[in-house]
Amino acid sequence: MELALDVQHIAKSYGKKQAVKDVSFQIHQGEIFGLMGMNGAGKTTILRMLATLLRPDSGDAFIAGNSIVQTPEKVRACITYLPDEAGAYRTMTGKNYLQFIAGLYFKDEKQQKECFSLGEEICGLGDALQQKINTYSRGMTRKLVLARTVMPRPKLAILDEPTSGLDVLNSLDIRKIIRQCAEQYGTAFLLSSHHMQEVATTAHKAAIMKDGVFLAEGSPQELLQQYQAETLEEVFEKVVRNS
Amino acid sequence: MIHLLKKELSELLNKQMLLGLLLSFILIILFGSIMTSSVTETVDDTGEVHIIDQDQTNFTEQIKTHLEQQGYTVLIINENETENFESELSAHAWSDAVVLPEGFTDCLLNQHQLCQIQSLTELKTTSSIGIAFGNTGSAEIVSSAIKEILSETYLVDELSFIENPVEVTPYTIANGKIVQASSTALIGSLSMFDQLMPLILFLLIILTAQMIISAVATEKMDKTLETLLSSPVSRSTIICAKMLAALITALIYVIVYGSSFFIAMLFNVDNAADNINIAEAFTGLMNTQDALHTLGLQISFWGWIGVIAQLFLTICISLTASMILGGLVEDAKGSQTASMPILIFTTFPYILSMISDIRNMTSPVKYLLYCIPFTHTFIATGCLRFHNYGLFWGGMIYQLVFLAVIAFAALKLYQSDLLFTHQFASKKNKQS
Repeated sequence: MELALDVQHIAKSYGKKQAVKDVSFQIHQGEIFGLMGMNGAGKTTILRMLATLLRPDSGDAFIAGNSIVQTPEKVRACITYLPDEAGAYRTMTGKNYLQFIAGLYFKDEKQQKECFSLGEEICGLGDALQQKINTYSRGMTRKLVLARTVMPRPKLAILDEPTSGLDVLNSLDIRKIIRQCAEQYGTAFLLSSHHMQEVATTAHKAAIMKDGVFLAEGSPQELLQQYQAETLEEVFEKVVRNS
Repeated sequence: MIHLLKKELSELLNKQMLLGLLLSFILIILFGSIMTSSVTETVDDTGEVHIIDQDQTNFTEQIKTHLEQQGYTVLIINENETENFESELSAHAWSDAVVLPEGFTDCLLNQHQLCQIQSLTELKTTSSIGIAFGNTGSAEIVSSAIKEILSETYLVDELSFIENPVEVTPYTIANGKIVQASSTALIGSLSMFDQLMPLILFLLIILTAQMIISAVATEKMDKTLETLLSSPVSRSTIICAKMLAALITALIYVIVYGSSFFIAMLFNVDNAADNINIAEAFTGLMNTQDALHTLGLQISFWGWIGVIAQLFLTICISLTASMILGGLVEDAKGSQTASMPILIFTTFPYILSMISDIRNMTSPVKYLLYCIPFTHTFIATGCLRFHNYGLFWGGMIYQLVFLAVIAFAALKLYQSDLLFTHQFASKKNKQS
C-alpha cells in the first residue's frame, strides 16, 4: 500500500515546554491511525503540525510525498483537518456550507458538485441541510463538519477528537463514516481520541503518547498481546503508569 | 461575595486587558496633552486684537486704550501706505485684523457718516471649529469699542448713528491672495466636503476595524479559521477576501450614513446659500465660487482623485491592522479591547484636525501626528486647498509604505505559529 503519511523525527516546543519530542510514524492509504494520550500529551500539536498550522522546530513529515516544511501549500491540497470542537459558519445553511467547502478544494464546477453530493450523502442530514447551522444539534454539526472533512477525498484526513461530547449513537455513526471512507475511498485517517473503545473499534494502528513521545505503537491487537491486557484502556493504564 | 468578586475580577482583569489599558493610558496622556496645548494656544490668541491703523489719530489711539482697559492685548501696525494686507498678516503671524483706513476719524467724528472699516481674515484651515478657535474677532471687538467710545465720550445727538457707526467690509486671505468675501460664507461652502469627509472616514475606520477583529476572533473561537488555513487556498487570498468583504460592508454603511448627512447638510447649506447670495447682491461681495477660485481654494479633478486614493489607502491600513489585531486575539474578551489602538490612533488625529491646524503645530507634535497614517487623510483636503502639495503626496507615499509593511506583517502572522500559540516560534525550521 502506498504511504500516505511519513513523519520523521518531528519536534515542537512552546517556549521552554517541549510539546512533541522526536516523533516518527507512518500511515498507509486507507489506514486509520489512532493517537491516544492524556490532555497535554502533544496529540493536538502533532495534528496541527501535519495540518501545516504549526511549524515543527525540527524534523519533517511527508504527506503524499510533500514536505510540510518545504511545500506546505502542496500538503494543504491533499489533506483535510477537523479541529477539536470545530464549528461551522452558523449563519449558513448546511447545504451552503458544504458547497462553500467544495469550492475551496475544487475549481471545476463538476468536481464541486460531485464533492458536494458526496458530503450530502456522508452527513445523512437530508432535508436538514436546508436549515441554518445555528439550528443544528451538536451531533448534526459534528456530522456536517466530518462530511466536509472527508468529501474532498483527501489523501489524509486529520481528525482531532472527532466524537468528543457526542452521545453513543452519534459517536457510532461518526465511526462508521470514518471506516467507510477509509475502505471506499482509500483515505488515510489520523485521529486523536480519549476514547480507547473508539480507537479499538476504528483504528488499524494506534499509538499511546505521554509528554510528547510515543510510549507504545502498533495495531490494537498487537498492543493487547504485548501488554497482556483485555482492553486498550488496560494497555493505556499500564503504559502510562509504568512510564 | 468576596470569593465571587475575586473570580469575576480575575476573569475581567487579564494580562491582555491590562496591557491594552496601559497602552491606552500612555496614548491618552500623550495625545491629551497635545490637544490641551493646542486649545490653550488658540484660546491665548483670542485675547488679542489686531489693528492696521492707516489713520493714526488721537481717536484711533483712544480705541487702543479703550480696548486695553477692557483687558485686550492690542497689537497695532501703523502703516499709511500698505495695501498688501496679506503679507502684513503673514509677517506678524496674525489670523485676522481690522483696518482703520485713512480719513476714518474724520468720517466718524466730523461727517457723522457710516464709515467703512475692513475686516481681514486669513484662512489656514477649512475647519469651521478651527477657524472659530483661531479667529480673534478683531473687527467685531473694534466695532463695539467704537460704539462705546462714541456714546461715552463724544456727545453725538444722532442715536441711529451711534447704534451703527461703522460698516465692516470683509476680506478673506488665503494662499497669499485676497478677495472681498466673507470667510464664513467660504467656509460654509467648503464644510460639506472638508468636515463631512473626515467624519465619514472616522466612522469607516472604526466600523471596518470592529468588523474585521470580531470576524477573525469569531473564526478563531469557532475554529473555522483552522479549517480555512489548512485548505488549499493561499493565506494572502484568505486575508484579502476578509478585508474586501469588510470594505464592501463598510462602504454600504458609509453610503447610508454619508447620504443622510449629505441630505441634511445640503438642506442647511441651500438655505445658507440663499442668504449669502442676497447678502452678496447688496454688499457687492465677490461670488463665493469666484472667491474660492481666486484664492486657489478649489481642488482640481486630480486632487480629488488623490483624496479618494488616500481614503482608500487609509481604509486598507485600518483593515490590515485589524487583521493583525484580530489574529492576536486569544479569546472573546480580547476581541472587545483589540480595536482600542485603532480607536485611539484615529480619534486623536480626527479631533485635532477639527479643532486645530495640524500643519502649523510645533515640530515634535506635528511629526508625531504625521507618523499616524490616518492623520494624512484627515488633513488631505486642507493640504490641497492651501497648496501644501509636498505634505499631501509625501503623506500618500508614507501611507503606501506603511500599508506594504503591515500587509507583509499580516501575511507573516497568518503563516506563523503566533496565530495559534501566541508565542514567537524558534527559527530552526523555515517554512515557505
